[in-house]
Amino acid sequence: MVLLSVEDQTFASVEELADALVRESYLPDRGLATAVYLALAMRRPLLLEGEAGVGKTEVAKTLARILDAELIRLQCYEGIDAGQALYEWDYSRQLLYVRALQQGELKLEERISELYGPDFLLERPLLKAIRAGSSAVLLIDELDRGDDEFEAFLLEVLSDYSVTVPELGTIVAASPPVVVITSNRTRELHDALKRRCLFHWIDFPDPEREAEIIRIRLPGISDALARSVARTVARIRELDLVKLPGAAEAIDWAHALALLGADAVTSEAARASLGWAIKNRDDLRRVELQLADLIDE
Amino acid sequence: MSEAARELSGQGSVDGDLTERLLAFGRALRSEGLPIGTGNILQFSRAATLLGPADFYWAGRATLVVRQEEIPVYDRVFYRFWGGDFGTPVQTTYDVEVIRAIAEDPEETGDEEEQRESSPDATQASRLELLREKSFSELTPDELAELASLMARVRMSIPTRRSRRRRPARGGDPDLRRTIRRSFRTGGEPVERSWRDRRRRKRRVVLILDVSGSMASYSRGLALFAHAVLRSDTRWEAFCFGTRLTRVTKALATADPDAALQRVAEEVWDWDGGTRIGDSLKRFLDRFGHSGMARGAIVVICSDGLEVGEPAVLDEQMGRLCRLAHRVIWLNPLKAQAGYQPLARGMQAALPHVDVFASAHNLASLEALADELAAV
Repeated sequence: MVLLSVEDQTFASVEELADALVRESYLPDRGLATAVYLALAMRRPLLLEGEAGVGKTEVAKTLARILDAELIRLQCYEGIDAGQALYEWDYSRQLLYVRALQQGELKLEERISELYGPDFLLERPLLKAIRAGSSAVLLIDELDRGDDEFEAFLLEVLSDYSVTVPELGTIVAASPPVVVITSNRTRELHDALKRRCLFHWIDFPDPEREAEIIRIRLPGISDALARSVARTVARIRELDLVKLPGAAEAIDWAHALALLGADAVTSEAARASLGWAIKNRDDLRRVELQLADLIDE
Repeated sequence: MSEAARELSGQGSVDGDLTERLLAFGRALRSEGLPIGTGNILQFSRAATLLGPADFYWAGRATLVVRQEEIPVYDRVFYRFWGGDFGTPVQTTYDVEVIRAIAEDPEETGDEEEQRESSPDATQASRLELLREKSFSELTPDELAELASLMARVRMSIPTRRSRRRRPARGGDPDLRRTIRRSFRTGGEPVERSWRDRRRRKRRVVLILDVSGSMASYSRGLALFAHAVLRSDTRWEAFCFGTRLTRVTKALATADPDAALQRVAEEVWDWDGGTRIGDSLKRFLDRFGHSGMARGAIVVICSDGLEVGEPAVLDEQMGRLCRLAHRVIWLNPLKAQAGYQPLARGMQAALPHVDVFASAHNLASLEALADELAAV
């Protein structure tokens, strides 16, 4: 079997990549660091799934910073189509241009090709990313919100990193951009797309790692508070809640508590700031009722 | 033992070529149900060479696993395969006979009906009419099969909602793209103007079927119905529950009704068990509904409401459901019985949150549901 050699390796090892992520305030676990490393080395899109708030989107943002690349974000939503994701002609400008031509004595037929030139092309994220090639990180966020048709279209673009604009010809990425796809699993993505990607499921971090994440993201926060928040959040996650707090919520909550001048999660401070960690009314009530058991006082 | 498993155990003793081992590992995962193609194995080999032996586990996790549910399977096969310990593969046993048993358990009334219906003067049309009106619980296996073909013709008209996709229309917003295109025919003068409007999309319909013991005589009829409507529209989702919830959308997607029911029977574990509606609904909402499936959807629950769990749980979960869904419809086969009162504790807890409460004991009542849906 021929195993392909690595064409261009930005990072020599998984450790090196993990260190670079940490320097940019993102603390990955071994599995995530490995998946990102492989995605870079094998030039494959990276598909990240996990509960909301575990830092899926943040991975792409951090990658863009450490690779010194432009972050191009495509937020998916229901009904998104090629016109919003790839390119669109600037019709209003084209209309005005045609008007201007008519006023002049130029022959319309001669100038008509100009109407479909680069001047009138509105680049949307996908086209922009393909043009930028490897100097861009393309974040396709919450792909599960788009519909099946869009997924099929995306699969086509991601399989050869080229786009055909009938009037301009085919645009091929000189080298493919780094692609990070996130999904909240409101809908199962198609296997064909998943097969193109490397997959990683981001779990909630354990309390020690979470405390470290909080310290990294909030420099200057007291060690005791970071630990206390991480422990409390871990206990909250064991409750049977509608929406479990993610790392993002833990960071926000720690920030709020620090602003309130707390050294640790106390029932008084927690009551005043719980809304930063818990975002559902029923959950809020449940957590408040059991607050005494959740915090270490 | 599957072919892949046999090959695998044959290789267990010899330490073969690495490529062979990788391929065998892929086959082992495939025999446990992971959808692994040659492409995955190639990616896995590349990843493994890039990472070296220490991260072998993660090389496979990133390239061979595509969903969270597959992680435990991968872990198990990985440690069995590379951990050096070839235990007996965990053989999952399915209770495939259950659904057949339901069908082949002829009720006394069923035999009687069959005799009457086979009388020579009964015309085909009136026979079908009878079949439509006959309660699911009284159908013989043959009648069920016939009903399956009748059901295939049921067409549901599902309420729509405005989508964000647009299409050409006679009115609405200006469609500049088409206007410009058409203006070229008239020398750049936009004589004919085009418009576009937001498309209307069918709402998603989620069927949640109770397959517990008390519903056993209706389960097959309802599952057939689910199969028929799922075939006609891809936006439907179906779940079965007794004591726990199983998603059966994929299982029901098979063209042949018998094969579909067979697959459902293999996937649902608690046929004929007790009923925990509240817990099952909670699982549905936690895992699927809250994250989007129930949002703006029409949720149809088919159950007799004989809850063995706490009614308070059901009350709470129904409250959650009705805040998310567009309409909640409860079908209760018992409702057709003369003098039925929704006295079951579960039914009483659920009713305040239900928009439509109807019966579902025969095809005619399901057709009436189809009309009901068209009206919402």
